[in-house]
Amino acid sequence: MVAPAGPVVAAEPAKPAGPSRAVRFRRYLRRHPSVAIGGGLLVLMALIGIFAPLLWTVDPTAISPARRTRMPSELYWFGTDMLGRDVYSRVIYGARVSLLVGFSVAILASVVGLTIGLFAGFVRWADGIIMRIIDGMMSIPPILLAIALMALTRGSIQNVIIAITVAEIPRVARLVRGVVLSLREQPYVEAAVANGARVPRIIFRHILPNTFAPMSVQATYICASAMIVEAILSFIGAGVPPSTPSWGNIMAEGRALWQVRPHIILFPAVFLSLTVLAVNLLGDGLRDSLDPRLAKSI
Amino acid sequence: MLAFVVRRIVTTIPVMAFVALFVFSLLYIAPGDPAAIIAGDQASPADVERIRASLGLDRPYLVRFAEWSFRVVQGDLGTSIFTSLPVTQLIAQRIEPTVSLMILTLIFAVIVAVPMGVIAAWKAGSWIDKGAMAFAVLGFSVPVFVVGYLLAWIFALKLEWLPVQGYTPISAGFWPWLKNLILPAITLGLVYIALIARITRATMLEVLQQDYVRTAQAKGVAQKDVLFLHSLKNAAVPIVTIVGIGIALLIGGAVVTESVFAIPGLGRLTVDAILRRDYPVIQGVVLMFSLVYVLVNLLIDLTYTLVDPRIRY
Repeated sequence: MVAPAGPVVAAEPAKPAGPSRAVRFRRYLRRHPSVAIGGGLLVLMALIGIFAPLLWTVDPTAISPARRTRMPSELYWFGTDMLGRDVYSRVIYGARVSLLVGFSVAILASVVGLTIGLFAGFVRWADGIIMRIIDGMMSIPPILLAIALMALTRGSIQNVIIAITVAEIPRVARLVRGVVLSLREQPYVEAAVANGARVPRIIFRHILPNTFAPMSVQATYICASAMIVEAILSFIGAGVPPSTPSWGNIMAEGRALWQVRPHIILFPAVFLSLTVLAVNLLGDGLRDSLDPRLAKSI
Repeated sequence: MLAFVVRRIVTTIPVMAFVALFVFSLLYIAPGDPAAIIAGDQASPADVERIRASLGLDRPYLVRFAEWSFRVVQGDLGTSIFTSLPVTQLIAQRIEPTVSLMILTLIFAVIVAVPMGVIAAWKAGSWIDKGAMAFAVLGFSVPVFVVGYLLAWIFALKLEWLPVQGYTPISAGFWPWLKNLILPAITLGLVYIALIARITRATMLEVLQQDYVRTAQAKGVAQKDVLFLHSLKNAAVPIVTIVGIGIALLIGGAVVTESVFAIPGLGRLTVDAILRRDYPVIQGVVLMFSLVYVLVNLLIDLTYTLVDPRIRY
């Protein structure tokens, strides 16, 4: 079995003869190229977002009617939009919104979903009620659920994150509940119960570590899906406020002109697709390396 | 069997009840006071109060939910704030393009995705397999509207093979109808194809290792029969299941695809309703889409016995 880098290193600290952590990490990446490619691309996007002001950008919200709808040129690398704003600067700053939404939703949905899933898996009387609510939520297509929630509030990054998180929670909760239910039947958990271990100890010592692998894979897929949903929400005008340069917003603004100035949509589209691709590759790679049985099948 | 059908139908009731409660609460907590809107600017607080009472808006939450549910069951989804038309009428006007788009996408996606998954599993590890799976990852990663604009730009603007945007009702003829829907259906179908192809491949990989497949090959059954008759039949249940679950993707994607291709369907209706904060319409559309989603999956559960005679309830 190919071991995940983190936990194994922690489990066997005193092995002087073995290869160093860095060597093992490099070996892991070589064996799972999609983790390397996806992770690398994602780090690159994150760096672009963090260092956006240093990457030869101008103020992404600066309006200049004199230079509207320019084609890409040496001066305006990605051209300008209807209001004369520099598309290159807007796309570069847009990375911040997508990554912020993607990571926030992945973390929030994981934490809340994990809690609900553990609760449903352990507190049997609550399980029926919780699962019916989850079934109900899952019968509303996630994008519609997010749209409906956004209709209630004003567009802001915070509200977008909350809306998408709520739409994603049921999937995580259901996954964790399934893992908990199958683990409860494992002999070592039964042994722990027979030994008189209390519920918190069983959860933290025996159950939680085993949810790590499926959860981290699920979290990357949530991150990818959140980025797409954010772009869709912004694109249809129910997402982050139009003044914020997000990839969805830039494309929404390019819609009216797409037949004559396709580049306004093209550049944010390429960045968005590459970022989501990076996250998906990372997720596939993690899945393959964390669960070789699953890797063979899917 | 009958007992199962009844039980399965009964389990959808709490699910739909939850959806109804959620959708109702949406309007309940939505900002803006309908009574004040209807009363207008000139009304005194007493007038507003009177209208509120006549609309029943002053009654408790659960009473209003019960009344609202009662009306919904009778097919009354309320009145659009913006157009003053009944929501059911608005939905009825927009339903044809969306249903056309979805059915076409469904057919197209299944025709492409299932053989793709089968062949990828058969040639597992080959470049065909790798290509198909790379395509699937791309399908998951490239957002619907990006695909839409790209296809429209290439096939409509540059090559001028197909119309750029718009919709022609099927009553105006099959070809004009189809011509307008080809690009949207491919656009919407891409994620769906990726999903179905992946599951098909995964299931087929498992089935192809079974003894009866080896037996069939050993006795000289043609490879295509082994794949599409012996194996695919046994892989059908997970594939049919994912086709049903994937309807959620189609519904979400339709909202965007219709915007890109200017199709006057339910997706456009949703987007317009969001922009105008027309809550009764949002409510109606969410409720209807969820009902469709639940019913399709109910139907699929019930057809398992047809797909796989070994399943008995």
